[in-house]
Formats: sequence, structure tokens, C-alpha cells
Amino acid sequence: MARITIDDQSYEVKDGRTILQALDDLGLLMNGVDVPHYCWHPKLSIDGSCRLCQVEIEGFPKLQIACNTPVKDGMVIRTQNERVKDAREGVMELLLVNHPLDCPICDQAGECKLQDYAYEYGATHARTREPRRPAKKKVELGPTIVFDQERCILCRRCVRFCREVPGTGELMVQGRGDHSVIETAPDEPLANDYSMNVADICPVGALTTKDFRFKIRVWFLEDAPGVCTGCANGCNVHLGVANNRVYRYVPRRNDAVNETWMCDEGRLSYKQIGGEDRLREPQLRGADGRLVAASFDAALEEAATRIRRAVDASGPAVVVSLASPHATNEDLFTLRRLLEVLGTSSAAGVAVRSGRSDALLIKAEKAANAAGARALGFSEPGPVLDRIRGGGARVLIALGHDVLDPIFGANEALFESLDTLILLDTHHSALERVAHIVLPARVAAEKLGTLTNHAGRVQRVEPAVEPAHLALAEGETLLRLARALGLALFEGPWDPRSVSRAIGAAVPAFAGIDVDSVGAEGLPLRSAGA
Amino acid sequence: MGLEAPYLTGYLSEHFADAAYATLDGYVARGGYEAARKALRELSPTQVVDEVKASGLQGRGGAGFPTGQKWSFMPAGSDKPKYLVCNADESEPGSFKDRILMERGPHLLLEGILIGAFATGAEKTFIYVRGEYAESARRVQRAIDEATARGFFGKDILGTGFRHDLVLMRGAGSYICGEETGLLESLEGKKGQPRKKPPFPAQYGAFGMPTTVNNVETFCHVPHILRRGAAWFKAIGTDKSPGNTIFGVSGHVNRPGLYELPLGTKLDTIVFEHAGGVPGGRKVKGVIPGGMSMPILPAGMLDVPMANEFLRERKTMLGTGGIMVMDDSTCMVRVACVISYFFRDESCGQCTQCREGTGWMHKVLNRIERGAGNPDDVDLLLDVAGKMEGATICAFSDAAAWPIQGLLRHFREDFDAHVKTGRCPFPESFAL
Repeated sequence: MARITIDDQSYEVKDGRTILQALDDLGLLMNGVDVPHYCWHPKLSIDGSCRLCQVEIEGFPKLQIACNTPVKDGMVIRTQNERVKDAREGVMELLLVNHPLDCPICDQAGECKLQDYAYEYGATHARTREPRRPAKKKVELGPTIVFDQERCILCRRCVRFCREVPGTGELMVQGRGDHSVIETAPDEPLANDYSMNVADICPVGALTTKDFRFKIRVWFLEDAPGVCTGCANGCNVHLGVANNRVYRYVPRRNDAVNETWMCDEGRLSYKQIGGEDRLREPQLRGADGRLVAASFDAALEEAATRIRRAVDASGPAVVVSLASPHATNEDLFTLRRLLEVLGTSSAAGVAVRSGRSDALLIKAEKAANAAGARALGFSEPGPVLDRIRGGGARVLIALGHDVLDPIFGANEALFESLDTLILLDTHHSALERVAHIVLPARVAAEKLGTLTNHAGRVQRVEPAVEPAHLALAEGETLLRLARALGLALFEGPWDPRSVSRAIGAAVPAFAGIDVDSVGAEGLPLRSAGA
Repeated sequence: MGLEAPYLTGYLSEHFADAAYATLDGYVARGGYEAARKALRELSPTQVVDEVKASGLQGRGGAGFPTGQKWSFMPAGSDKPKYLVCNADESEPGSFKDRILMERGPHLLLEGILIGAFATGAEKTFIYVRGEYAESARRVQRAIDEATARGFFGKDILGTGFRHDLVLMRGAGSYICGEETGLLESLEGKKGQPRKKPPFPAQYGAFGMPTTVNNVETFCHVPHILRRGAAWFKAIGTDKSPGNTIFGVSGHVNRPGLYELPLGTKLDTIVFEHAGGVPGGRKVKGVIPGGMSMPILPAGMLDVPMANEFLRERKTMLGTGGIMVMDDSTCMVRVACVISYFFRDESCGQCTQCREGTGWMHKVLNRIERGAGNPDDVDLLLDVAGKMEGATICAFSDAAAWPIQGLLRHFREDFDAHVKTGRCPFPESFAL
């Protein structure tokens, strides 16, 4: 450890770190100690080229860049004096010499570090009379990213990202001096699974995603913390929300989960939240065999009647269930309780769709809470399906439709033999064709709860938007179903916060872990294998 | 390169007119490789470093860093292979001394490298030759082949068990590859752009191994120091800047060419006596003393000994000893345009100040030359140059700022005249 002094405050920092890294470790960088920077990024190699992070260090005649200067015991650093301010102003003026100053039509406006630092350290007028460097305004670097050469400040974060994170290295600097330009090689577009991260780390408006560009001014967006539900990794995100609509995901830093990255597929999965194929109203299968809209109460009453009839006729074991690996721990715990109270708790499984994975973030399990479902006692769906095949099940309460994935060998025809299929789901699927009661559910962005990622990290989701239609969290639907059955699961109305605490009390792996205690970055399950 | 002129008479170059000196036999016949033999057989590496330290030899690549001290930065007990790099990328405009050293005295260079390798424990030397120097590369390669065949390189050199290999590599024509870490990047097959420091080459150099980079001429002094002793070397030149150097004189002089002279020889002596003064009855207007990146001196300041301790007092430096003489027909704004164009074109573009500053200065200077300058442009140039100085990864940005600062310091009236009259007042000056 080294003791250093920054602006008259003393800090203990790890040896072998540079000044910026040490500030980042302390959580102080741009959060108490302002050392503006462009090329430095906490998750990329040090470049040392933008020269904006110069600070004064006692014993050094020249200012030094904080990003590449290792801390030493006894080092005395000043980040805010006139000399440092002058140096920052000098760099800012030079960075703007060739910049088009087209903020009014720039998509980065409002979240642009060039704007921010120019506001803080820039001159009030331009001293350049010379024409700006001619450059291309719209270069398609690949299927996801558009590049504005004029706005680029050549910090090369994007170049280092492609080399160091996905390891694909599509981007390079072509040319030199003030005619340098970021380029791809001919016929080698920027097309890796993580390409859109370059837009996040681009500190200016040079790299933008085709998906988000010109959709909305960022200052109308509120950043709601959440978790990507595309796979079991559970990358932390900010949901950009305006007008009760999610416009984008951007990665939210969590060094234990996704550092500062996320994959393109997950990033674009926000579209499912407001998707055209959302289930929009409860439905009941009528006498003519067609699904017709119904109220939640009518649908729940019908579900309760059918369950009661089956249990009365053949005992509770004929009621089986498939849990959704997308639902929250709170939803699934409620399902667990319902099955227990009904007396059929062993007849439940969870079907998890699987797909492509890589060594970085993308996990094979294409669901956000498969590990949570398993931790809450939902195992492979095979026994449940066997019970249905063998005629031992009459009622299925299905959360989601992942069971239709070919790997489970069960298409919707299998469920036609059931007396009753009660489907709680977020999106339309073929399972509706054979469902008797359809109950629209909320997606993770619409409810409070926790999800458990592949590594057993329990992370919070919060309502960022309200569904534009009638939909309830699966847990609330199940609680109301229990009430309709005359069964008591929890006291009072649906309250995911208290359910969350109830999980901790009932399941040792969740002891002390609830929506509040997990904080913004989550907590690991007490024993990961539970 | 013509060697008719009798100016190469010092210890480095006295045999350069003799073509045999470039061959191994010719070199050995004149005492060649004796110093290396003595070092490898009779001295320890530390003793060699100490001898070079005692000689006071300063690097001749431009920065003037003490060579012995640089060698001592190499880690002693490293388990990694250590490398030397010979910087033969001579790309400073106005400098052409390393070329003649490679073409006329290639074995002198190789002997210096061998001694340096022994002193630093390096197992390999990369000789990085400027791309345009095809003939230099050919001659050095021939010398490498000859010396290796004769056992001066390779395994078990001179029966001492010391092993050293030479690898010649040609550059591809970028000024910045003469900066030692830009060179290392290029050597590794990457784009030539300087590395941030730390780490320094002695810790993390070529291919990540401990490396020392020395200039061609620097190596060439070493065999002479070992042969005749540090005291002999120290007695030449000035107290603080010992030894000879090879000055390259170009521009408006009667006898442009190379002159081996002791450091501390006065600039006016070189220009007027050795190089024969300015032709056509004209007067000297200004002289760049050390290659294009060094600030110019006006005619009235030429009575200065060519050694850093004196040149620094006049806000310039010895650099690579490339002396560029300009007569009184010269438009100093045009000179600034040419210099700024060069640095704009050659900036690697990593650091903000250099990338943007070189271009901005070039545009402003051209506007002044065109007669469209503003009264505040000179102050603007000084301000931009000030921002470019001392704040970047390598010294290129300083090298781009200093000559413009020097021109503005000594010839501001040229710039003001352009601005005031709206045209260039030097009709006889060289054209852009």
C-alpha cells in the first residue's frame, strides 16, 4: 500500500496502480476528484495520448499524465490548481481545432464528454480562422455502428476495445497526424458480438449505434438501473426510459458481472419489453374453442374452479407446474408456496432454452433467472413432461413457454391432453393454442424483484416502465389465484419486498439476501451450489 | 557521396576516403576490432561501462544523453534476453552524418556495437536503418556477413564464450521511427508511434525485453574510447561535451558537406572557415545549428561554441549537428511554412497537442505567407507552440514547436511585415 495526497486529502492506495486507477479504485474519479480524461478507460489498456489528465506532482518539473504515472508512497498530487487548469484548457482548445461543433444535430449531445469538458475548461470563443479538416460524416463501420469522422478525437478507445475485449481487432488508425482516421480493413467490417460497446465508450459523437441514433434526445431519457434478461449472465444495464418506453440498454458497470460491457444481442433485447407480440389481456377459451378476452378476476376465477375440480376429483398430484426462468425469485417463490399449499410441490420443473455462448459474457442459458429457479427447487422439466405424457397430470400451470424449445421434445400438441392449461406469459407463443386460461405477465423491467445469474449472484430489477396493457407480475397473479382457491400464501396484497424477505427466511441460500440488501450490484447466494 | 573535400580528418573519419576501410581486412589492418578484443578478453562489462562513463561520451542522436549511464540502466541479473538497438534511422532534416559512418566505416559501427553488447549483456542487436538509405543498409549488411563469418559475431566470439547476433532491418520512411520507442514499435512490425513511458526501454524495450537504443555515431566513438582511453577522449572538445562529432553543413554555403570537428568548435568558424561562407556575396541571415527541430540562431549569435552547455544559453541545442545556413534572401515565414509542413505531415497523431497543434500552426503560417495574416497571429502561434511543448508522449511535439518559437524569437519582423503589407516581402526567397 502507498499513502498519497491528492488535493490535500490523504489516501491509502494499492501499489502498482497509476494515479487514475487509484482514484477509480477509491471511487473518487469524477466523483469527488475531477481529473478529466478521454483516452483512459478503466477496462482498457492505458493509452496516454489525449493528455487531458495532466496533474501536478511534487518533485516533477512538468505536469504528468495521471493515467500512466504510478503512485508512490508519499506522492503529493494536485488536480485543481491554475497550472493544471491551464493545461486542460490548452488540450480542450486543440481538441476543438478540427471539431465541427455540430452539437445541435449531434446524437451525443447531452452525454458528450467533449461538451462537458469544453463547458468546464473551454474558451468562450474560437481562435481558429482556418477551415476544419475535411472528413466523412457518415461511415458505416459495420452492421451496428455509424462513424462520424469529423467528430472523432482519436482517443482510440474503440480500437483498443476491439483488440482487447472481443479480441477481434477490426478497428485501426489509418494515416497519421491530423489526417489520422479510425478505419476498418477492406471487407472486414466491425461485426463482433460486442460491437455496440464502442458507441458507449466513444466519449464524443463519433460512434453511434444505428439502433439508437436519432431516436430521442438523451436528456429526455431517465436512466433506470436494471439487468439484461437475454441470458444467464445478468449484465447490469441502465434502461433509457422516456414516455413510459424503453429506448435503449446501456451497460451499467459491475466489475463482478459485466465490467462495463454487454453483448449486442442482449443490448437489443430491450425491444422485447415494448414488443408488438406482448400478451395484452387475460383470455379464456370459450365454448367454441376460441380464446376470448376476459377480466383478470374472471380468468382467475375460472382457473381456480378448474384446479379445485381436478383436485377434488383426483387429488393434488394431478396439478403440475413449469416455472419460468425469466420470472423473478419472488414470482417463483410464490409459485413454490402455491404448489406447497396445494400439496403438489414435487411436480414442478423449469425449462431453460439454451443457445450460443462464449468465454466473455454470453451464456448458453437464455434466461435471466434459471439459477434462481434451481435454487428455489425447480429442477429439470423432464419429470413434469413425463407425467403429462403418462396421463398422470390434469392441470398445468405454465409460466412462460420456454418448454417449447425443441431440446425438450415437447411441442404444444403434448399439452392438448390436459384438462387445463393455465398460462402466465409475457409474449405470444404457440402454447396459447392449447391454453385454457391466458394471464399476461410483466417482464423484469416492469416489476420489483431479484434475479439470480449463472454464478449465483442475486441482482435487483425495478419497475422502469409500466406495461401499457393489463399485466401482473407472475407472483401477484399466483397470489390472487391462491386467494380465489381460498388458500393463504402471504399476508396482505402482493408485495415483492416482503416476499423477497420471506425467501431469505425460508431458503438458506437466500439468507439475508433480498431486493434491498442486494444493493445496486447484487450479492452472491450463500452457497453457490444450492 | 563525394569525399573529395578534405574535411573528414578526425579519428572517426580519417580513413573514410580509403575504400578498403569499409572491408573487414582493411579495417583490421588499421587496428580494427582490437578495442573489442581488449574489452571482451581483458575487461569486465562493468569496467567497459565505467570507461565509457568516464569518457563523458554523450549520445549523438539528438538528445545528448550520457551513453555510459544509459548502458548502466540495463538490468544486471535479468532472466530475459537483453537487446541493443542501433538507431540508424537518421531522419532529421539537415542531418546526414550517420549515412557516411555506415557507408565508409561499417566495421567501426559494428565494433562499437560489439563492445556495447558486451557491456550491457545484450544477446542481439537490431540495426534499424532508414528506409531511404538503401546503400547504407547494403554496406552494413555486407559488413555484418563478413564479421560474422570471421567470428566477430555469432557464438563464442573471439573464444570468450560471449555470443551476439546482428539483425539489420530497414525502416519504411517515417520520421517518427527515429524516436527510440517509435523505432521499437516499427521494429516489431507495428505502426511507428512512440510508446508512453513508463515503462522505459531498459525495462520493456524491443519485443518486451530490456533494450538500449543508441545512435550510429555514438557507437562509432566507443572503439576509439576503449583503444585510447577515457582521458584521451575527455581531452577533446569541451569540459562538458567531450569528443568530436561530424557536423553536416547544408544550405547557403560555398562548401556544404560533412566536417568532423571537436565539440565546442564555434558555429561561425564552421560556417565561414570550414564551409567557406555564403556564396554570391550575400550575408548570413540565420543558421539552424542542430537539425531542423532545433531553434535557429540569427547572424549576430553565431560566435557560439557548438556544445549544448553553450547553445542552451542561446535557447537552442546541438541536436544531431545538422547545420543549415540561410542567406539574407530567405523569407523566414517560408522557412516556418516548410518546417511546419514537415512536422504536420510526420506527426504520428497520438497526442492531442501534437496532432492538432502542428496542423493549426501550419495553416496559420501559410495564411501569413499568403498575405492574409492578422495582427494577433504571431501571438497565437507562440501560444499554440507553448501548449505543444513538454506535454506529450515523446519529444516530437517539442521538436515541432521549438523551431517556430526560434523563428518568431529572432525574426518576428519578417512575420510582422507579411501581416502589415499583406504580401511576402522577400521576392528572391526560395519558393514554397
